Amino acid sequence: MIKKLLTYLLPAILLTGCVEEDRFSNSPQGNYDALWEIIDERYCFFEHAKQEYGLDWDAVYLKYKPQVQAAENNAELFDIYGEMLRELRDGHVNLVSDYGTTYYWDWSLNHPINFSDSLQRNYLGNKFRITNGIKYTTLPDSIGYIYVGSFESSISSDNVSLMLLRLAENKGIIIDIRNNGGGMLTAAEALAEHFVTEKTRCGYIQHKTGKGHDDFSAPEPLYLEPKGVIWGKPVILLTNRGVYSSANHFVMLMKPLPQITVIGDKTGGGSGLPLSNTLPNGWTVRFSACPILDIEGNHTEFGIAPNEEVHITPDDWNSGRDTIIERAIEIINALHEENNEKKGC
Amino acid sequence: MIKRAILYTFALLLCTPFTLRAQQIADDSIVPERIVVKCSSYGITYMNNLDTYLSGYNHTGRGLYYSNEKFRDARTGNYRWKYQTLLTANTGITTLHDNTQLSGMVNYSWSGFHPFKINNRLQLLAGAQIQAGGGALYIPTNGNNLVSVKLRTAVAASGAAIYHIPSKRGDYILRAQADVPLAGLMFAPEFGQSYYEIFGLQNYSRTIAFSHPLNSPCVRGTFSVDIPVAWRKHSTTIRLAYTADIFQSDINNIRTHLYSHAFTVGIVRTIYKVKKENNIIKYTPY
Repeated sequence: MIKKLLTYLLPAILLTGCVEEDRFSNSPQGNYDALWEIIDERYCFFEHAKQEYGLDWDAVYLKYKPQVQAAENNAELFDIYGEMLRELRDGHVNLVSDYGTTYYWDWSLNHPINFSDSLQRNYLGNKFRITNGIKYTTLPDSIGYIYVGSFESSISSDNVSLMLLRLAENKGIIIDIRNNGGGMLTAAEALAEHFVTEKTRCGYIQHKTGKGHDDFSAPEPLYLEPKGVIWGKPVILLTNRGVYSSANHFVMLMKPLPQITVIGDKTGGGSGLPLSNTLPNGWTVRFSACPILDIEGNHTEFGIAPNEEVHITPDDWNSGRDTIIERAIEIINALHEENNEKKGC
Repeated sequence: MIKRAILYTFALLLCTPFTLRAQQIADDSIVPERIVVKCSSYGITYMNNLDTYLSGYNHTGRGLYYSNEKFRDARTGNYRWKYQTLLTANTGITTLHDNTQLSGMVNYSWSGFHPFKINNRLQLLAGAQIQAGGGALYIPTNGNNLVSVKLRTAVAASGAAIYHIPSKRGDYILRAQADVPLAGLMFAPEFGQSYYEIFGLQNYSRTIAFSHPLNSPCVRGTFSVDIPVAWRKHSTTIRLAYTADIFQSDINNIRTHLYSHAFTVGIVRTIYKVKKENNIIKYTPY
């Protein structure tokens, strides 16, 4: 009996090998190789970036390798690593260490700003309310105005319902998410759920299943389910290049809905859910890992075009008018009149 | 850090009831229907954690370790079977340079052993074990993948050797035990799958994996010595133990190892459940 037990147990114990990761050394070259490999295996937009602007990740490795070898200190290395990551042109890619955080800002900074809180003040006035960080008021001409500057805080469905009830008498609402750099996907979804009347497929999500550039899971559908007070009147969604990440996600969810019109500038993009990993020296790298696709299966990593492109004109800027808000008011008034005509009023 | 851990350990030990005359109770007037040996141990553990879902590099550090063991004979079958329940928990802080990781794990196992008495001093036990465990690793600086959750259950082979060394105060008992999981189920996200997708969107259909020694070679080994001590009219047994808890997995291109080397000290208590008088069984599950 004992002999039999040993016969079966010993091989099992011997199979207990060590599970380790292929590791790079904590050296300038080792950390560089580790950083390049983490991105190579886990970043999700290689093919899309190759189509958009011809990214060649192998060539990027060779481009920065000599600089790494010539670097004299960690601060210099941090900058070089950061430069390498900027080649991805992705605002979700950062390197974090005691030297700070590297960013890629061109998705926003290379484009017209199309938003000013000074101009916005002329519309918000001094009687606006705030709920869950969302500012809202009623503009002259019975048009609701909602400004969502961030999705970093969670959004309560009850609070949104109360807000929409307070705005219910208006002809329509303007949802302004300009310069909303994102936050939580769940917050964006919590707001969007008040604009669908039934469970609605609104996009897809994928994740990487392996280390190859094309190793992705099948797209899993994303749904919006109606919650609380549902808004069915016209909605004009204002966007600019500062709309990024979960704010971009919000536009992706809202744009296909029938009562929504998106105006302003193209969004900044950022449709990959970012994950993080670490280098041998403990520095943290964040990168887009899970692509979210729109309802037609397209990437929105490099932004979502509005239904109508509108920019703030210099004349309006100087006279304190927000061209985009003014255009939104025009559209709502036009839609209201159109509806009245249909009803025969 | 070590000083503080030792201090905590002894503080916890002071809270443990000091059981008197533990193993000498089998005198001529008491018949134990069942004897249960219980031991709560506390100690420090040296940890080495790798989870490539969070970080591709080992985080090392120290933590606190707790174990609670109950060991008893079967009621039937002329004491041919012995049962063990074991609860262990550890928590600690591990680092990779400035990168900090927090971890906490709880494991429970239930074992049934068949004893093989080699001689009066040595006995071997062989049996099966059901394991269940869970916990999490947490790296605060990570973005959307702050946490890696560990949930697992397994059927394991388990074996032990127990050796008695008689002394005036009672037996010193040396024990070595090894548990090797053979098959089980484990929570295992896919390579780049986010928890937002798993728990937020509830796309978790492919997150349970079948584990076996080839994709999850694990072992838990314990070496302990029970030392009888006496002080005036009181006596008790102290257990010193070393436990190597080796959890590993390589599933969905995510590699994990959680190595814990724990040094613990505890008080052994022997509980006698008395059935009737005038029968004498001088017996201990060991």
